[in-house]
Amino acid sequence: MELLLQQTVNALSLGGVYAMLALGLAIVFSIVRLINFAHGEIMTFGGYGIFLSLVFGFPPVAALIIGLAAAVVMALAMERTAFRAMRGADVVSLLITSFAVSEILKVLFQNGISARPVPITFPASWSGTYQVGDITFGVVPTVSILVTLAALAGLTFLLRRTVSGMAMRAAAEDIEMLRLLGIRANRVVAVAFALSGLLAGIAAVIWTAQRGSVDPMMGFFPVLKAFIATVLGGLGSLGGAVLGGFAIGIVEVLAQAFLPETLAPYRDAIVLAAVIAALLWRPDGLLPAAKTSRS
Amino acid sequence: MISTASALPLETHPARLAAANWVRTAICILLLAAVVACLTLAFGRTGERIAVQLCVNVTAVVALGLFCGNTGIVSFGHGAFMALGAYLSGILTMPAGLQRTALPNLPDFLAAHELSVWLALPIVAIAGLCFAAVTGSAIARLAGASATIATLGLLIITHGIAVGAREITRGSQTFFGVPRVTDLTIALGAALVFIVIARLYRESRHGLFARAARDDPDAASALGISPRRTRFVSWCLSGALATVAGALYGHMLGAFSPASFYLSLVFAHVAMMIVGGMASVGGAVAGVMVVTLLQDTVRQFEGGAELLGFVFPEFFGLTTIALGLAILLVIWLRPQGLVGSFELGPGADAPFLRRIGRGTKPANDPEKVAETMLQARSLSKSFAGVRAVDDVSFDVPTGRITGLIGPNGAGKSTLVNLLTHQYDADAGKALINGTELTKVRREAVAGKGVSRSFQNLRLFRGLTGYENVLVGSLAAGRSRQLAAPVAIRELGDLDLGEVAGKTADALPYGARKRLEIARSLSQDPSILLLDEPAAGMNPAETDDLADRLVRTSEARGLGILLIDHDLKFVNRLSNWIVVMNRGEVIAQGLPEDIRTNPSVIEAYIGRGRTAAEAQFVPNKTTRVLTVGVDQ
Repeated sequence: MELLLQQTVNALSLGGVYAMLALGLAIVFSIVRLINFAHGEIMTFGGYGIFLSLVFGFPPVAALIIGLAAAVVMALAMERTAFRAMRGADVVSLLITSFAVSEILKVLFQNGISARPVPITFPASWSGTYQVGDITFGVVPTVSILVTLAALAGLTFLLRRTVSGMAMRAAAEDIEMLRLLGIRANRVVAVAFALSGLLAGIAAVIWTAQRGSVDPMMGFFPVLKAFIATVLGGLGSLGGAVLGGFAIGIVEVLAQAFLPETLAPYRDAIVLAAVIAALLWRPDGLLPAAKTSRS
Repeated sequence: MISTASALPLETHPARLAAANWVRTAICILLLAAVVACLTLAFGRTGERIAVQLCVNVTAVVALGLFCGNTGIVSFGHGAFMALGAYLSGILTMPAGLQRTALPNLPDFLAAHELSVWLALPIVAIAGLCFAAVTGSAIARLAGASATIATLGLLIITHGIAVGAREITRGSQTFFGVPRVTDLTIALGAALVFIVIARLYRESRHGLFARAARDDPDAASALGISPRRTRFVSWCLSGALATVAGALYGHMLGAFSPASFYLSLVFAHVAMMIVGGMASVGGAVAGVMVVTLLQDTVRQFEGGAELLGFVFPEFFGLTTIALGLAILLVIWLRPQGLVGSFELGPGADAPFLRRIGRGTKPANDPEKVAETMLQARSLSKSFAGVRAVDDVSFDVPTGRITGLIGPNGAGKSTLVNLLTHQYDADAGKALINGTELTKVRREAVAGKGVSRSFQNLRLFRGLTGYENVLVGSLAAGRSRQLAAPVAIRELGDLDLGEVAGKTADALPYGARKRLEIARSLSQDPSILLLDEPAAGMNPAETDDLADRLVRTSEARGLGILLIDHDLKFVNRLSNWIVVMNRGEVIAQGLPEDIRTNPSVIEAYIGRGRTAAEAQFVPNKTTRVLTVGVDQ
């Protein structure tokens, strides 16, 4: 029982990170058809933002905010420099562009900061545990679940109730039409990138708080999982991305907890193989995005 | 619209195309041979080393491009095949003594074979093919970006397994003792063989089908081509080749680890493919050259260098940055890559091929088709609560042109999509001679004798006019020898002789419309569904098309379902008219009865007008009507 509850917390916390990354990918994909390989570098940059501001002596809370801001700035900068020129290009060109951007940024991180992990130390009280009855829970995983839920709720509110949110949902359906209606598409796209950057920044905060270090590949690997999550959920579907993210997090934690020791090295392989098997059963994903093509 | 002069005879087109294709292959080969010769002659041992590396890269990228170029899906998963090839070939060829120390726990069935590389490579190729068949059965189900991400998943999975399976691969440690047998002869030989295989595949039946499905999956499946199958076939061949390329790479390196086949290798290969141009074999070859030379140049500066008085610091990863920038520049400035979207070399219309006189006689007109009846029975389909098609029943027999008219949004195109199983019907069925089309696979509809055109043009953009029709003809199940004369016949019948060698994208609008009809007719259908064939044509073109349709339908006895909202056009051609409005059939009958039917007039021009206004009007008014109907 205790194990089950603890693992549930772990699964939700990891799944939440994947869900936020996948949601960021899906927001951008649904509007500009970009599968952003460089999304991981946005997260990594957020992590370095935290690291550097701690080095320069900012208090921890300020450092977190600076980390979030760094991720948002990075996302916007990417959009402005690399992707805006490519607006309307086909999916493959966009994907390859972001792939190149991602590789370049990783090298810059390696040379500009360090190829090795750099430590991030938060106050000890942040990484403690607390007791509910007889069961011990970690503070960080619990807080990260709350933060994830708050972020998802906030984003849902934004998309459903505010003008820019509605503009974004409209852009996901048909950005040309939106332009004809006199809404500035560049603004909508920029807001989408900013949101995806913010989500990646939150993911960076949670990730660094749990692992205590940043390295050039920090964002890359979770984002690989998030890619798979977006496809599992149904590429371009926002709800699907969140669902896919949680699903992968849960499967991963289950695999970690219950796979026999001999299979431990194959954990990632098994998780991904399970996901691909799920795609055989539903090639369009768990919650497919609406199709708008006409014959 | 009609190009002047120099129209080459249509009959010689297939022979000219075949010759042009061989010339294109020869150009790829000569290009590679020339660069290799330059490198070895000019730079001696260093040049030879670079040449070997270049040739191995050509094998890998040609294998990668065979999948990506023909299906349009970028794969990040080919590193998995290369790893499989390198490790398997390494284990099979390794000296037994060395193997006992390096891999003490190797399973018995793999141990102590000491094969020569010539025996190992076929085994490796077969293993690669099996691995590709297993992975392809999953990946081929996905299309576009989802498939790309799945290939990335494959790469991660394989990497995880390679790191985990210590007894076979030494885990993440270096795997050593692989005989370094990839010399220039083997590498160059393999590269040339790979180029020829990829070129042959690209122009083969399966290659054409794959490229057709890449350009337009819906149109391809309406012709009876299964896009998933074309992806699967391309994946399997490409995977088997990539596995062999991996083996050669392993035998070049001599020692490697799972990281050697991970993201940086994949990134380099994808960069080569994109820089050269993904759509062609020539692009793969050119891309490898440019990028390999770029890499080798930049690598010298990675450890720091002094140039023109400036001292550059050590900068690890400079080659990666150079590759990244090369990709970005190419994509921004020349999205189709340096070579562009077509194969390097001449097309079938090149002047020096003019002398080829071997003609392909157009096939005779097909026999009159057997009597067939396409029936819609209570077909219904809703989209999010809107009943687009509501309980529609009518017949389309052979030997008759059945007109289907109705205002915009009446559900006409949805109906065609239901008849051809492009959509799943909510209720009701479509039958051809009693067989339920609504129950067969979408790709099987064409085989039942139903062919269609699309409202918005759906040609295969990357193929020439001739190839577009040839794909239709091949998809009808004919051999190459039988398919070509039929394609020539249809192109001739629709007066498309001049555009046979041009890409579909470059044709004028009217020719594109006719090309789509030629493509459908090349399948010898019993029933032809034409979704607004005259839309966007000028009056002269419309008249011309009408004449041709009447002639074809009489000569071949086929049944046509003609969908349009140009009343005059439909009236002129049809012997029977079905009228739809708001998803329902509101009338059907002989044209003269329909003209005077009050509910038809109401649907088209509203209450209180006369039939005369709806009918015997010059073209100008028809257009006004159509505009009115849009509201």
